[in-house]
Amino acid sequence: MTNAQANTTTARASRLRVCVIGTGKVSDEHLRFVSASPRTTLEAVCDLSPSLASYARDMWKARASYTDYREMLGAVKPDVVHVVTPPHTHAMLVRDCLMAGAHVLCEKPITPTLAEYETLHALAAERGVRLMENHNYRFNGPTLELERLVGAGEIGDVTEVEVRMVLPIRGGGRYADVNLPHPSHRMPAGVLHEFISHLGYLALRFAPGPVDCWARWANLGGGTLFRFDDLDSGYRTASGACARIRFACNQAPDCFTLTLRGTKGMAHADLFQPHVLVNKQRKGGAQLSPLVNQWVAGKVLRRASVQNFRNKVMQRTPYEGLGTMLGLVYDALATGGPAPVSSEDTRAVLGLIDRLVALQGAAPSATRAGGAA
Amino acid sequence: MSQHLLNLLVTGGTGFLGKPTVEAALARGHRVRLVVRPGADAAQYASWTERGVTLARVDLRTRAGLTEALAGIDCVLHLAASKAGDMYAQYGGTVISTENLLWAMEQAGVARIVNISSFAVYDYAGMRSGSTLTERSPLAATIPPRDEYSHTKLVQEQLVQAATTQRGMRSVNIRPGVIYGADNWWTARLGASHSAKRWVRIGWRAMLPVTYVGNCAEAIVLGAERTTTLAAGTMLTVNLLDEEVRQGVYAREVQRRLPSKPKNTVIPWTVMRLVAWGAMTFNKVALGGRAKLPAVLVPARLHARFKPLRYSNAAARKELGYSPRLSLAEALDATFAAPASRKHTG
Repeated sequence: MTNAQANTTTARASRLRVCVIGTGKVSDEHLRFVSASPRTTLEAVCDLSPSLASYARDMWKARASYTDYREMLGAVKPDVVHVVTPPHTHAMLVRDCLMAGAHVLCEKPITPTLAEYETLHALAAERGVRLMENHNYRFNGPTLELERLVGAGEIGDVTEVEVRMVLPIRGGGRYADVNLPHPSHRMPAGVLHEFISHLGYLALRFAPGPVDCWARWANLGGGTLFRFDDLDSGYRTASGACARIRFACNQAPDCFTLTLRGTKGMAHADLFQPHVLVNKQRKGGAQLSPLVNQWVAGKVLRRASVQNFRNKVMQRTPYEGLGTMLGLVYDALATGGPAPVSSEDTRAVLGLIDRLVALQGAAPSATRAGGAA
Repeated sequence: MSQHLLNLLVTGGTGFLGKPTVEAALARGHRVRLVVRPGADAAQYASWTERGVTLARVDLRTRAGLTEALAGIDCVLHLAASKAGDMYAQYGGTVISTENLLWAMEQAGVARIVNISSFAVYDYAGMRSGSTLTERSPLAATIPPRDEYSHTKLVQEQLVQAATTQRGMRSVNIRPGVIYGADNWWTARLGASHSAKRWVRIGWRAMLPVTYVGNCAEAIVLGAERTTTLAAGTMLTVNLLDEEVRQGVYAREVQRRLPSKPKNTVIPWTVMRLVAWGAMTFNKVALGGRAKLPAVLVPARLHARFKPLRYSNAAARKELGYSPRLSLAEALDATFAAPASRKHTG
């Protein structure tokens, strides 16, 4: 029996011993949760930079810091490891953590391809531990509100989903740095691989089972650093619903939105400036519904402007969903219940990404990939 | 001409302080190898390469090529740092760069460094108004950080100190005050904002520890020469300023040289101090301390910028033989001789 199994099955009331590998910017929200949760103790952090590892240790009151993750795994024998490093390092780190008998929560994309994930998943099953990918935006307030609306039938059956992300990744910053090219440029979708998981799992949440994919990958900014900086893609499902997945870097303003169109109405969620607008049949009937929808939208936007200003001052970020997800992850570990992001969820996203990546370089007339997911 | 001709590696040599430092090193007869980013255009350094400066195309955020760049070097002038971005960006540009540099210096057997730190490392809130800030004044706490810049500069100093002690290196750690020069005459120690029409200033009587960029550059080269006479395992730290000058005097002298005089709104230091204390108390009591407020509403950061203190360059004069070449008036004239300085944006 592994350390993780022992702690989660025989002493469920006790705190799980957690390590975090990678102490860069993304680690902040993981460390905030682990250091504050009554279910966990932050045993150690690890980073190649000793100074950065020490900073994280001191900031989040971990018991130790390491620069060698293998040494940390051997010394601490953690129940759970969060892998929060750049994507190209995930496979090796996750494998070694699983071998050390720890449950693993890994940042997205957990692996570049579905085939690599299957290898890790088999290893996790063999070791009797859980392997989970971070799908944090699924647990943001606006996404959960869309789930509620769909579940309550307020917009009818979903027939169309659009997930859109606009980020100025070529306008400076780590992805545009020609002096130290970001390792994600070497991923199958280039740096877009950093974002495509988010787009994919949100689309699949509301339009599962893609059967017919299309994709147009482009490098609109040119040059050799970026392989792609623009993606216009989508798929149809067996039920006839369609989804569009869009990433752009040459538009304004920055955004991350999710729009659902259904047989009875539409709902639009903004994940960067959180709010949800709903356009549906109201009590006033067909004549008054457009007016009521506009009045309600105005009210929602006014309230969101205040709330989002407050979020900015209070340093609440769009990563808010991560805390919710991690709460569910540790509930699942404590109770043995289902994980908030299942292996099937991860398979579906990686399968979709594989299919979109396979369409790279295809001529416009041949940018479709059929067949069941 | 200096007595000790050195082979110097200069990091951050293409920046505001770096350029005059290279010039000062060449003027004193030293040989310079300049660290430039891999993607840099060599043509822009032609005036230096014609004078024997060689280029090392490396990025300090990675170790690749760093050891080779240090071959044959006597002393490193380490000016490279990040001043903008979040904590992680500044860690990359300041702390991890220094980790990599110190690692490569050990590999290459280079044991002398001049580290350029900052007055930002001091704990201003813990000092008494009117007291004199010296090299022995208390340093800011690293956790929780006062701000990204002060934190990363503190960690950078700690890295250099640790390497110096452990490896028997000879190090000079220079903490410059407010560095001014062409197109860079505004300082956050004057106030909250400035434009062509209006300056919003905070206080007028506090002293500014100013140093003209050209004077500062010469001090850095003196620091390199000083490493040759230090005992192994020693890190000499000096504060660097040309002179202390009142906020009001500096503002008046700058505005006198601008094409049109802006209006001044001056908030007294005592009033601002009370406002910041109120904001901090409200944040603590009502918001659980989680609100991110502007720097002037955070007492520790406000004190770091506007607290009335005294400053001295006695250690720099004694240890480096430093004597600023240009006076404040001469340096401001030189500053405003550059057309860019007259655009109200410095």
